Amino acid sequence: MLKGFTRNFKPLEILTEEQVESIHGGTLDVLRRTGIRFESEKALKLFEKNGCQVDYSNNRVRFPEGLVEECLRRAPSSYHVKARNPENDMIWGGNTTYFQALSGSQSIDLETWEPRTPTRKEFHDAITVLDALGNVHIVPWYTPWFGFKNVPPVMAMPEGLAARFRNSSKFICANYSMDCEVFNIEMARAVGAELRTSMAAAPPLTFYSDAVESAYRIVNAGFILLLVSGSVYGGTSPSTIAGSLITGNAEIIAGIVLAQLIKPGTRVIAQDFSFPQNMRAGSPAFGDIAISLHQAAFNQIWRKYDIPTDGGVSYPSSKKIDYQAAYEKSILSFTGALSGTNTIWIQGALYGELAFHPVMAIIDDDLVGMIGRFLEGIEVNEETMALDLINDVGPIPGHYLSKAHTRKWWNKEQFVPKVADRSTPPEWLKLGKNDCIDYAKKRYDEIISTHKVDLPLTDKQESDIERILKEAREYYKKKGLISSEEWDEYKKDLKSPNYPYE
Amino acid sequence: MNNDIFEDLKKAIKEYDTEAAASLAKKAIGEKIEPLKLLDAMTVAIREVGDGFGRGELWLPDLVGAADAMSAATPIIEEEIKRIGAKRESLGTIVVGTVFGDIHSIGKTMICTLLTAEGFKVHDLGINIKAEQFLEAIKKYNADILAMSALMTMTAPEQRKVIKFLENENLREKVKIMVGGGAITEEFSKNIGADGYDPTAPGAVKLARQLIGK
Repeated sequence: MLKGFTRNFKPLEILTEEQVESIHGGTLDVLRRTGIRFESEKALKLFEKNGCQVDYSNNRVRFPEGLVEECLRRAPSSYHVKARNPENDMIWGGNTTYFQALSGSQSIDLETWEPRTPTRKEFHDAITVLDALGNVHIVPWYTPWFGFKNVPPVMAMPEGLAARFRNSSKFICANYSMDCEVFNIEMARAVGAELRTSMAAAPPLTFYSDAVESAYRIVNAGFILLLVSGSVYGGTSPSTIAGSLITGNAEIIAGIVLAQLIKPGTRVIAQDFSFPQNMRAGSPAFGDIAISLHQAAFNQIWRKYDIPTDGGVSYPSSKKIDYQAAYEKSILSFTGALSGTNTIWIQGALYGELAFHPVMAIIDDDLVGMIGRFLEGIEVNEETMALDLINDVGPIPGHYLSKAHTRKWWNKEQFVPKVADRSTPPEWLKLGKNDCIDYAKKRYDEIISTHKVDLPLTDKQESDIERILKEAREYYKKKGLISSEEWDEYKKDLKSPNYPYE
Repeated sequence: MNNDIFEDLKKAIKEYDTEAAASLAKKAIGEKIEPLKLLDAMTVAIREVGDGFGRGELWLPDLVGAADAMSAATPIIEEEIKRIGAKRESLGTIVVGTVFGDIHSIGKTMICTLLTAEGFKVHDLGINIKAEQFLEAIKKYNADILAMSALMTMTAPEQRKVIKFLENENLREKVKIMVGGGAITEEFSKNIGADGYDPTAPGAVKLARQLIGK
């Protein structure tokens, strides 16, 4: 079982109790008065059967308060999550926080900082890095990248999931698109793992049929459903944090009601994936401090609902591994952790959603170590107060360096980073003026040349995965979603002597 | 009197006042003011907003607000142009839309506003547009340029489909194609056979001018 980090103090509470109640009341008002649009006949009927007011002319569902409260109660507040290797299982909820890698659509060149498409080998190697990093507890969907060279877009999800299972025994996730969840579920079952898949609202206040269909499949498979509102405040939700919390929570709650009506007790997690709008470019304003405020309030409100949260998404806006990336990622992840979220996305991302680099992930892993150490807090007991020792050492010339107490405690209290530069200035000059990026590059080489996944797939699991991938390829070819040009490129990879790794 | 109404119309756009823009357009048509001159006045106003955006003094909500106000007045004026059979001068005609499967509209709206400000005649088809709809609009408006947006990696290949579709319908050579959106890169645009790509809205306007040699 992976322990993650335990927060041993009260979480940051940014809202007063009255403010929490006001936002909750506003959320119920939106659900009751305006409701949520569901583009799914099946879901509309289920809602109607359970007491919602359904308007079939515009697919609108209005939710009675009693049903909302009942479904929030039905969702478990804490639960076990099963990875391929039981040693990597987790318990989500309560005062534990786990960390997960953040994906990007492309890789970047570390010299020019320009984005580029990763190769199949780079894709597999990057997962190896995530598997090796001690503070990556979850390897989610789209990680490390949305796809890789020569893979048709429609095959990116099944191929990515297969690569994650092949190169990591940690808890793996996969998302939905064009029915790929059918293949994802099959693959997870073949390797004896559970999956977490999202059901994403299309803000404002809408769920399209693909999200609903996927939710049915995931819930019926008995896996974990992540409910997400990816609004952009000022664009697809109000520009205020309070207003945006109301629309986002209304969307997430509507999704939870659906999940609990399909199968009571379904394990769900609520994700805050909202960003303010960059009012110059129209894109999300990644790295903005409003995200921290939003997430802190989100985590506080959902703690009241007693449902695990995913409220610390830490995308930077910076295009480079630089000071800006560091402060954006640090503030976002740290406030997410302090405000008591259960899972935080951070390792590897740059450039908003557009880039991932394993060297960034290696550096981020140290940042996570520092945050995790902070969450554990300060132990105050007879031994740590060290009264006898203090009285024994006394004033100068007394000192603590040679004491057994120091040897036992110093590296429990500090966190020792793996790639940060902590040399003294003379050492730094002598060692070639290396910085954390230089050290992270070295660690990357070490990991790639030495790390092996602790629990490789069995021959049977490997052949099952290959069979499922083959089924997916046939399915998408038949549906006309792989063009002949895409297939020609893809075929070359499939015939490579080192397939599936390069 | 006429000057006042032109100024009021410009003001309505610069103050993002949709209702005022529409009612002023109606009033002006009622007073038999030349509709082409009304369009020109609005283009001047939207250009000022676009320039303010370019200088970093105005922001996206300002740009979209002004575009909304102009959109409220335009159909009223265009109906009159059609009724009296007047001909509108423009740099060129552009059909714009976000491809099928994709519902992102912000980037597309920005482009439409800036292209209009530049003097193009813009037909915004909206979001989730199928190849057949693009084809129909290109024919209907006799478009010089087709501009397609796609924000997601999953929907980007739809741009290739549209281009293929136009090739099969023997319409590819008649129209220049520019592509954009979060999921698009220069390399991708070349691979799918587009004529141009630019990651920014102001850059897309320059590109549109280049593509039609103006």
